[in-house]
Amino acid sequence: MGLVVKDVSKSFPSEHGIKPVLQDITFESKDNEFVCVLGHSGCGKSTLLNMIAGFASPDDGLMTVNGEQINGPDQERGVVFQEHALFPWYTVLENIALGPTFQGKPKEESQQIAKKYLALVNLEDAADQYPSQLSGGMKQRVGIARALANEPKILLMDEPFGALDILTRETMRKELLNIWMHLRTMVVFVTHSIAEAVHLADRILVMKQGKIASNIEVHLDRPRDAKHPQFLSLVDELSSILIEEKARA
Amino acid sequence: MTVGTNEKLSLKNSMTSHFFTTERKDSLSRMMTIAGFFALWQIIGMINAHFEWFNPTFLPTPVDVLGAALHLHDQGVLFTHIWSSTWRLGVGFILGVVIAVVLDFLIAKVKLVQNALEPLINIIGPIPPFALLPIFIIWMGVGELSKLTLITYATAIPMIAYTVDGIRNVNPLLVRSALSLGANQWQVFKSVILPSALPPIFVGMRVTLAISFSAMVVAEMIGAFSGLGYLIIDSRNFFQMDNMFLAAALIGVLYSIFALILSFIEKRLFKWRQGTQMNDAISK
Ligand SMILES: Nc1ncnc2c1ncn2[C@@H]1O[C@H](COP(=O)(O)OP(=O)(O)OP(=O)(O)O)[C@@H](O)[C@H]1O
Ligand SMILES: [Mg+2]
Repeated sequence: MGLVVKDVSKSFPSEHGIKPVLQDITFESKDNEFVCVLGHSGCGKSTLLNMIAGFASPDDGLMTVNGEQINGPDQERGVVFQEHALFPWYTVLENIALGPTFQGKPKEESQQIAKKYLALVNLEDAADQYPSQLSGGMKQRVGIARALANEPKILLMDEPFGALDILTRETMRKELLNIWMHLRTMVVFVTHSIAEAVHLADRILVMKQGKIASNIEVHLDRPRDAKHPQFLSLVDELSSILIEEKARA
Repeated sequence: MTVGTNEKLSLKNSMTSHFFTTERKDSLSRMMTIAGFFALWQIIGMINAHFEWFNPTFLPTPVDVLGAALHLHDQGVLFTHIWSSTWRLGVGFILGVVIAVVLDFLIAKVKLVQNALEPLINIIGPIPPFALLPIFIIWMGVGELSKLTLITYATAIPMIAYTVDGIRNVNPLLVRSALSLGANQWQVFKSVILPSALPPIFVGMRVTLAISFSAMVVAEMIGAFSGLGYLIIDSRNFFQMDNMFLAAALIGVLYSIFALILSFIEKRLFKWRQGTQMNDAISK
């Protein structure tokens, strides 16, 4: 079943009348799939992700998870934000325990769950620190653990590593991949890095000016080698799709 | 991950060591200033008592003021006055803050309440609360009710204005984050809206505390038979300058105690703000 997005359109009001941001977006993704949404800045990636999260609703079209229509935010769709959006007044452990607590689990159990996911992202030592005391990479790991602690069906990530330096970014990508291989939750991952998408995805949705320009399945074994010929040819293919757009724009 | 651990350790070390040394130096120099002030006052008073530049009764020395305190204590009224002022202020201030915060949340949340209250506050807000005291006294008599009403009113009106914007400004990203973690309305309030409103509420409390104190003193100066404000007026009638200085000093002390309690609560409540203040931008 998984996630089904069908003929979804969205526009925003602007000074020059109504501005279409997404047009006829259609794709499906299976339960254990890692989906990357790849595209230039402003092509509507966040808008799409926010609608899947339930923060906004489409003007037109249908969005369902396991056959059920998306209607507002829900714990079955966990979100990792680019700006991490951790609660500054809660410690790392409290942040992660929040989801289970909201679900009405007793304090003990929530803490137990939180500790498990804290270990998954290798941050046991920071359990009692506040977000302001963490580095960018650590914050992002807490954000991932917090979303996972709810055991969501879908993990939505909007450029989660966008604010990190290249080295940290690479480490985080590897860690995310390890976690995903372990949990096999469906992930929808927004990025504008071609290499990141090819490293991570089972399916790459290339977006151009509010439309899906291509929907590519990737069948390379993980972990992927950036020097592998198939890897390189896929990178070439993707960049030619994206650059072609630039030339026209 | 090893990087994380190292980062954390070094962060902790630099913070604690740096913290203590500067704090101790700070408090030492502060105490010196205060001691110096009293010493200077005592010396000037004593020199004046000797040379009589002006009538020494106009400027009692700190020792005279202490003597007045002992005298009042012997009469058994010192703590009665202090206690009267303390509980009036405590009750009036807390009531005023609670009323203001509840109204603020309603104003921020319910458009209808906002439209009803904001124009009203704009009309009566500019009237200095003390101008209303005689009216309160005629309505409610000279008893405690009119005094408490004045203190509560004088606290609530500015408190509403100081905190409403802070309460309204909640980071929408955090609300989204809570909602997608499965929070219901009450949980969003408890874990996002209330914690992000607390800092502005405390700023408002710190500012309005001074106003509440003025209201307390004024209320006690008119139609009261106990309290530090009453002590000032009563002593004026008998030209007891040392008592007046004592009452003024005690009001100052009481204010400091209330302010200290506030900042103590703040420290407990806002541990998470460590490293997010202006002074933390650059550490030396
Ligand atoms: N709430 C809104 N109101 C009006 N316009 C909006 C709104 N949200 C997004 N837009 C517009 O929609 C377009 C797509 O925005 P979106 O944030 O989805 O882009 P993006 O692909 O995520 O870009 P980036 O990579 O820079 O994050 C932009 O042109 C933006 O101006
Ligand atoms: Mg975006």
